[in-house]
Amino acid sequence: MRSSRRFIVALTSALLAAASASAQQVGTATAVNPLSESTPPGGTTAPLVVGAHIVHKERVHTTPAGTVQLLFTDKSTMSIAPNTDIVIDEYVYDPNAKSGNMLVSLTKGTLRFVGGQLSHQGEATITTSSANIGIRGGTVTVIQGPGGTKVINHFGIIKITNGAGTFLLTRSDFGALIQSWNTLIQDLGRIPTAEVAFYQAHTTSTPTEDGGVPGFKGTNIGHCGLGSVQGTNCPQVPWMPTDGGQLDATQILGNATNFGAGQITPPPPPPPPHRNPGR
Amino acid sequence: MKDGTWRASWNRIAGALAPALLLVVSCLPAKSQTTSELLNPLFQGILARPADFNNALQYGAQAATGDVESAISTYEQLLFYNPNLASVRFELGVLYYRLGSYEMARSYFDSALKMKDITPALRQRSEDLIADIDKRLQPDQFSGYVQSGFRYQTNAALGPAAGTVLASGKIFNNSFAARPDGNWFGAFGLNYVHDYEQQNGNTFEASAIGYDAQQFKLHQFDIGVMELRAGPRFGIISDTATGLSIKPYFVATGATLADAAYYGGLGGGLTAHVKLGDVSLDPYAEIVQQSFRNLTLYPLASGMTGALSTVGLQASGPVYASLGFQSRVTYAHADANFNPFGYNAYAGDVWLPWNFSPLNDGRTWTLTPTAGLSWWQYNAPDPTIDPFVTPNILEWRLGLGLEVPIWKLLYLGMLAQYRADVSNVSAFSMHDFSVTAGPTMRF
Repeated sequence: MRSSRRFIVALTSALLAAASASAQQVGTATAVNPLSESTPPGGTTAPLVVGAHIVHKERVHTTPAGTVQLLFTDKSTMSIAPNTDIVIDEYVYDPNAKSGNMLVSLTKGTLRFVGGQLSHQGEATITTSSANIGIRGGTVTVIQGPGGTKVINHFGIIKITNGAGTFLLTRSDFGALIQSWNTLIQDLGRIPTAEVAFYQAHTTSTPTEDGGVPGFKGTNIGHCGLGSVQGTNCPQVPWMPTDGGQLDATQILGNATNFGAGQITPPPPPPPPHRNPGR
Repeated sequence: MKDGTWRASWNRIAGALAPALLLVVSCLPAKSQTTSELLNPLFQGILARPADFNNALQYGAQAATGDVESAISTYEQLLFYNPNLASVRFELGVLYYRLGSYEMARSYFDSALKMKDITPALRQRSEDLIADIDKRLQPDQFSGYVQSGFRYQTNAALGPAAGTVLASGKIFNNSFAARPDGNWFGAFGLNYVHDYEQQNGNTFEASAIGYDAQQFKLHQFDIGVMELRAGPRFGIISDTATGLSIKPYFVATGATLADAAYYGGLGGGLTAHVKLGDVSLDPYAEIVQQSFRNLTLYPLASGMTGALSTVGLQASGPVYASLGFQSRVTYAHADANFNPFGYNAYAGDVWLPWNFSPLNDGRTWTLTPTAGLSWWQYNAPDPTIDPFVTPNILEWRLGLGLEVPIWKLLYLGMLAQYRADVSNVSAFSMHDFSVTAGPTMRF
């Protein structure tokens, strides 16, 4: 009897611990445009709101009008476009050890992933029905549609793996298409600006939305475009010194004066021949 | 070559490169996220209270100084809250530009231009950066400058003071002694890159610089120089964070002096490029066969003919705010037909371009202090000057350049320089102050 009680207590404790672990917050919904929904593991689907905790195994779904930004505890973010379905399959992160891993399934739709600590260690992966997309760096847009998976690398090294092989996307603004798990990964080269702009606009608010946080007027934003002196780390259009040719010329002229000319004053020209006045 | 000689050569090279490496290391930004950053109360505040956009603003500004991706996340969060703000879109463009994600940067700058609240300064900055991005996204990319103007020098000959007495007791040739003069000059620099649009980032690159100066009075110092470099660049790691590549290249140089063909150089080299944080490093090694031609005014010039071997390191990057740096350190060994003309030389130069916009119109002025130091150690005494002393020369130079935008690509360029050579042989000591001014077109 005692032993069965002990067993029940132990089992209950284990289940509670497991539930607590699985319900541990891995991130926060930082912006939500309706309608977006989430389904925690074992829970019911409910509209997502700004500030909602995102937990391990949670499914996030956006309707044709919904967009969401999720912020994870390792500083990664996902900007999720309308009509998208994702599941946080795995997320383990220890900020003290700076280690862990992240695995997110993208069933359909579009997301932009901006990397945090886990992706800097190459431990962030997005899976689709066509490929596993390992992110080192890195910032990437992933689109899952009826034609397969399209990946656009914005920054970092993206390792794409499926049944037909492995492909590395190493250049910013380049993309790849994976039609299915068993088809070869296709190098799309540079993605056109208009397409990049389309997905950028697709993963944020429309002009009339406010991400669930009204009233932001944007005072005191930015440090690059304002004031007479640009702030820290503002990009500078490449500058090329204009004295390169002059430096070369100076070097050549200096050597010519020192050595080429000879240093000694040349002897005076011989005097003209003496003319006899004919006297 | 004996072991000791190798060691001596290595010590010389290491000595030349060490200052640049120190400069580079001191400028490297701390990129990696530390635990304390992850436990940053502002970041924790976003996780706990994302709607507190004042907290997010503070965190975004803080992150932008080092953790670019985290700053992107924060400004994209703010963009969700109000997608109609030009400044947020501009900041995102700036952050993606810093990552080398030029298509994303362009889409944000483009959209910033469409916002109703854009200021003239922000519009100008956006247009400048879009123009730069458009150049980078072309398979065939051209950049450079053309400059013309006038230069005045207190010592156009770069020679010693008139009447300098040589060790032999004879007087230095007065035609090459220090005298002031002015000149008209033209200069250009052109860079061409063909991007093969491949994942590995392979390109073909060519650059040319040219300079021609016609003196007003002292025509023995009329000089023209043209240099061409070209070669394929092979990407080894092509992501924008590292960008490791190598490039073999050839170099061809020609120069005229006193309006006659005087110098030709032909050679090749190998250079690498790598990014460490925001700092670009370009070490190189090259060898050029130099050929000097005797002229009536320069009857001994052919004695300088020989191979010139150079190893060097160029580095560039940000220092603080809109202050950047470009630097170059080199070690060179020159062989010469006439042994006393051969030398070993160490040189270091640094440019510190500082961009600012005093009229608050977004147009950039560039003030550039420059400094350089060179040391030449010649092989042997020159019997015609001083048969007992092997010359060495320490040169230092300081300069200050200013570029003022006038209209579109047109600038007014001004440069003041002071140069002084100090030598153990009086004939090699000199100083010169020069002022240069003229219109400059950058593209």
